[in-house]
Amino acid sequence: MIKLLKIEFKKIRSYKTFWILTGVYFIFLSLGIVMAEFIINNMVDNMNRHLPIPLPHVNIFFFPDVWQNIAFFATIRYVLIFPAIIIIILITNEFTFKTIRQNVINGLSKFEFLLSKLYLILLISVVLTLLMAFGSLIIGLSHTSENTLALIFEKSTFITGFFITILTLQIYAFFFGFMLRNTGLSIALFTLYALIVEPILYYFLKSPIVFKNDISTYLPLNAVLRVTEYPAIPVLKKVMGLNLQEKVTLGGCLLPLLYSSIMVLIVVWTMKKKDL
Amino acid sequence: METVLSIQQISKQYGKIQAVKKLSIEVEKGQIFGILGPNGSGKTTTLSIILDLIRANEGSYRWFGEEPSKESRKRIGSVIENPNFFPYLNPVDNLKIVADIKNLDYNDIDRVLHLTGLHERKKSRFRTFSFGMKQRLAIASAMLGEPEVLILDEPTNGLDPQGIAHIRDLILLVAGQGTTIILASHLLDEVQKICSHVAVLSKGKKLFDGKVSEVLAISDSFELRAANREDLIRVITTFPGFKSLESSKDIVQVFFKGDVNPEEINTYLFSNGITLNHLSERKRSLEQHFLELLQNNK
Repeated sequence: MIKLLKIEFKKIRSYKTFWILTGVYFIFLSLGIVMAEFIINNMVDNMNRHLPIPLPHVNIFFFPDVWQNIAFFATIRYVLIFPAIIIIILITNEFTFKTIRQNVINGLSKFEFLLSKLYLILLISVVLTLLMAFGSLIIGLSHTSENTLALIFEKSTFITGFFITILTLQIYAFFFGFMLRNTGLSIALFTLYALIVEPILYYFLKSPIVFKNDISTYLPLNAVLRVTEYPAIPVLKKVMGLNLQEKVTLGGCLLPLLYSSIMVLIVVWTMKKKDL
Repeated sequence: METVLSIQQISKQYGKIQAVKKLSIEVEKGQIFGILGPNGSGKTTTLSIILDLIRANEGSYRWFGEEPSKESRKRIGSVIENPNFFPYLNPVDNLKIVADIKNLDYNDIDRVLHLTGLHERKKSRFRTFSFGMKQRLAIASAMLGEPEVLILDEPTNGLDPQGIAHIRDLILLVAGQGTTIILASHLLDEVQKICSHVAVLSKGKKLFDGKVSEVLAISDSFELRAANREDLIRVITTFPGFKSLESSKDIVQVFFKGDVNPEEINTYLFSNGITLNHLSERKRSLEQHFLELLQNNK
């Protein structure tokens, strides 16, 4: 594992595109998180115009809600697409440069090559999760005055939720990259599916006229996004007694994990059959 | 003799095109084995099969007498088709990846860059290289870690005459150290200059194989005629360097090993009491010979 990761690290260390995209991703990520509170309070202001008793402004960065809110805003569709695109580029590059052929000629098995990319995905997921956990902790500590350990870690299951989301989404990207083998095509089709096709399918499947049972939750990307489905909005909780999501459930993680496992198996099978 | 590579009856079909047809080849340790054939004769397909890049439809192959595996590939250095490296990495980083895969020490990188004359460009990115330099980096990468076998697919493709000479010298140097070399080429001249053994391919089929000196021997022949044909034949067979003869009516066509000039023949025959009334040299170019080989086997 260390050997394969060492090789992967050499491949990305001086790859400008990788670092630029990672930089843009972090800018989007922090902007999204900073904007989140502003956007929610804007919504509150709009609501207040129609309410007799105005609602107070919210603070979404205190414990324990900070875990859930950061996990939610860091995994909205438009932000999540970045790590996916990075993975697609790293995989399809190997076909464009034919370096996958050279790696196999030099003594890597096709399976090891797949493993090296999966390890990279795992490593990126772990690093992002650690950053998210550390960032949330700092933000939470600076926004909450009274802290007890029990309070702080009440909603820490959202760290796991973030990890599952980021991991399985990158595996979807892995699937696109290895099946299509072409950078432009994979990025275009992946983005098209994630941002346009699935949202349309979602509303179509959700409408009770078409299907009696709501099967929209089985859509692959939707399944990933539903791991951290809602932010914690204290106003809703306080005023309406509404709590949309308390924790990340094992049940919610199972479907994306199942989908991504199937995709890995399909890729392994295809690589075995197909010539390089 | 130790067999390094044994290919048994492999075939590969791309749709309707039969790229390789029941091909069998044996390469022994220490040989410089040429795979000679025109473009599209199945050379690269064959090499891709024995390096596990593509799957043969039938047949099998063995490396070092064992079932092929990633471990056997680590004992082989290869250049297939175009040089494939990361364009944004310099040659050192590109070779480090190769070394990592093959479990080699990085110390050897400097040596192969020196050997291939790329040392001065070790800090430049691969994408800034000329085609010739890319080709040389591919050869450097194949030579990394002094593998037991070197597979070179058209190694002098795209090189200038100086580069070609340099690479050929390099191949001979490595071969001199006991490395087995498998060289695919469409250049008869190249195979003849470098290889000890050759298999000639056409349309995925093997036409012949054997020692280069035998398969590609281009015995220039001479047509001789003398008043007494029997005496002429008796004397000429004792000529040093005589190989074979064909006699028709009154003309005797004689083949020699190596270079023979007409003056030597004339002097030899005259001193043995034969006076020629006809002597003419018949030359065939290498290319002509190669084409004849291919045509006779259509």
